[in-house]
Amino acid sequence: MTVLELCGAIQSMPWAAGIKESSWKFPLIESIHSLGISTMLWPAAILDMRLLGVVMRRRPVSQVAGQFLPWVWAGFSVMVLTGIVIFCAEAVKCYNSPFFRAKLVLIALAGMNALTFHKTVYRNIEAWDQAAATPFRARMAGALSLLFWIAVVAMGRIVAYA
Amino acid sequence: MWIRDTVWAFPLIETFHLLALAVLLGSVLIINLRILGCGARFASASQLAGDLEPWIRVSIVVGIFSGVLLFMSEPMKCYESYSFPVKMGLIVAGVVFHFTGERKWALGAQGFRSKLAAGVALVLWTGVGLAGKGIPYI
Repeated sequence: MTVLELCGAIQSMPWAAGIKESSWKFPLIESIHSLGISTMLWPAAILDMRLLGVVMRRRPVSQVAGQFLPWVWAGFSVMVLTGIVIFCAEAVKCYNSPFFRAKLVLIALAGMNALTFHKTVYRNIEAWDQAAATPFRARMAGALSLLFWIAVVAMGRIVAYA
Repeated sequence: MWIRDTVWAFPLIETFHLLALAVLLGSVLIINLRILGCGARFASASQLAGDLEPWIRVSIVVGIFSGVLLFMSEPMKCYESYSFPVKMGLIVAGVVFHFTGERKWALGAQGFRSKLAAGVALVLWTGVGLAGKGIPYI
């Protein structure tokens, strides 16, 4: 079975087809996915901007992280769950869309960026928690994170209209 | 009109509109859920509100500007939708509340009054988001 055939099989599943064909189920889940951007992207962006030294400079980085990372994780869970449901309902359209594929690559890149940041420069956070300027690698991680996630949102909009 | 002349203009403007909503609704959620007791305690609701206020104002401006462009590119769809006037009403109510009740009661008071005001802000702006998503359908 090819991946395309697998996608066809996924969206033919009764519950997936039921969501796609419903007048309200698909719009509702897509709305939660769109509105969920508020709960995930904005708190993440605030932390990214703190790493870049643009906002909340008086507050230690670890405090800003402690305040907003729980939001990011909660929001990300909502995005993944609703995203999987939306994918199942439109698996073939997503598979055929280069913008959807780009969206998945960007999400993976954002994840790798975050993981790298947490395992390297964030390890010695005490050294630069309240410093006047954050280390270059922290600023790089913040800038890349902003870029990746905004691109994810843009890709998502294009897939929705394709 | 010119937005409809290319494939990319509408999604691009809509992305700005959606990002403005993310900043606005995200800020409202962070501040008002903090008043209601959700969220970490590193900063108080007032501190969060102070830090986020410039972003709330910018996102309102970007949202209105991009929203006007979106409206101009599909006025009939907005005109025929029940959700659209509801959204407009909720935006007006939300902005007015932000500069009045939010300051005076949600952040400036305590106890039940504060929590009620925080709840009002949450309902108004979540309503704006939902009404916007409803425009193509209802």
